[in-house]
Amino acid sequence: MVVTSDIYLPEESELTVPEVNLSGSTLYAGSFHLGKYCEHANNEFMLCRMEEQDPRKCINEGKAVTACTMEFFRKVKNTCLNEFNQYANCLDKSSGDYSFKFCRNTQGVYDKCMLEKMNIERPSFGYFTEVRVHDTKRPKPPVEPKAVYPDATPALPEDAEKKPSRFGSRFYWMTE
Amino acid sequence: MAEACQIAKKQDLPPPGGYKPIPYKRIPAKQYFSGYAMFAGYIGMTVGGLYLYNLNYKQIQKHEIEMRSAKMAIYPMLLAERDREFLKQLRRNRDAEAELMRDVPGWEVGTYYGERVYKNIPSDTLVEPIFHEYYAHSDPKEWFKRAYIKLRS
Repeated sequence: MVVTSDIYLPEESELTVPEVNLSGSTLYAGSFHLGKYCEHANNEFMLCRMEEQDPRKCINEGKAVTACTMEFFRKVKNTCLNEFNQYANCLDKSSGDYSFKFCRNTQGVYDKCMLEKMNIERPSFGYFTEVRVHDTKRPKPPVEPKAVYPDATPALPEDAEKKPSRFGSRFYWMTE
Repeated sequence: MAEACQIAKKQDLPPPGGYKPIPYKRIPAKQYFSGYAMFAGYIGMTVGGLYLYNLNYKQIQKHEIEMRSAKMAIYPMLLAERDREFLKQLRRNRDAEAELMRDVPGWEVGTYYGERVYKNIPSDTLVEPIFHEYYAHSDPKEWFKRAYIKLRS
C-alpha cells in the first residue's frame, strides 16, 4: 500500500464518535432543515475539506458536523416526531429515489411544526445549490509557488523590437 | 382426321356491343386538407409540442434542483463519517501489512523494500490508495460487495 509508516494517521480512539445511525429517507426528510440548522459547521467542514484536500486535517470540523447533526435530530425527536415520521414514511414509500414532489401535504405539516416549535424555516428553493459566502477563522493553506527552473528557455527581452506581421493574420476576418 | 375437324369452331370474340372502355382516368383519393393546411398543421403541432415539452422540462429541472439541494445539505455529514472510517481502515491496512510482512527482511511498510511509490512529494502527504489496495487485507466478500454494489441496488 502507498501509506508508509512516515504518514501520520490518527488513532482509532480519536476517530470514534457517536455516528448518525439513520436511514436514507429520514436523512432526506430532515435534509433542508438540517442544512439550515448546521449551516456554519457544514460550511466550515466543507471549506476545510476542499481547501486542504486531506481528510486528516479536518477531523475536528467533521466531528462538529456529526455532533450538530445528532443535536438537530434529537431536537426534532423531542418536538416534531410525529410530523417528521409521517413525512419520512411518505418519502420512503412514494418513490424509489425519495422524491419530494409526491409528499407536499405531509411536508407542509412538517414545515409548519418546525417553524412553530424550532423556529427553522424551510430554505428557499435551491438554497443549497447556490454559492454561499462563508467567513472562517481558519487560515488559508499556503499556495504552492510557481516552479522556477534554472535551465528554462530565456524569454525575449522587454525592449525587443516587435515588428508587425508581414502577411497579416490568418484569421483576418476576426482580428482586423 | 377429316371427320374430327367438322365440328364448328367458336372463335373467341369481344362481347356483343364491344368491350367497355378502359377506365384509365385517375380518381384521386379524397383530400381532407390542402397543402397549406398541412403545413400550418405541422407548424402548429410542433409549436404546441414544444410548449408542452418546455413545461415538462422546467418541471424536471426544478425536481432535479430540489433533489440536488437535499443531497448537498446532507453531504457534509456523510463525508465526515466517511473520512473517519476511511482513516480507520488505512490504519488497519497498514497494521495488517506490517504483521503480514514481519518475517521478510528489508521490507518497509508502504514501500517496495524501502523504495517509495511517490518520490517527489513530502513524506507526510496522504495519497489515497487505489480501490484494490484499500481492500487488499479485507475479506474478499467485502471487496465484492463494494465493487459490485450496482448488482444489489
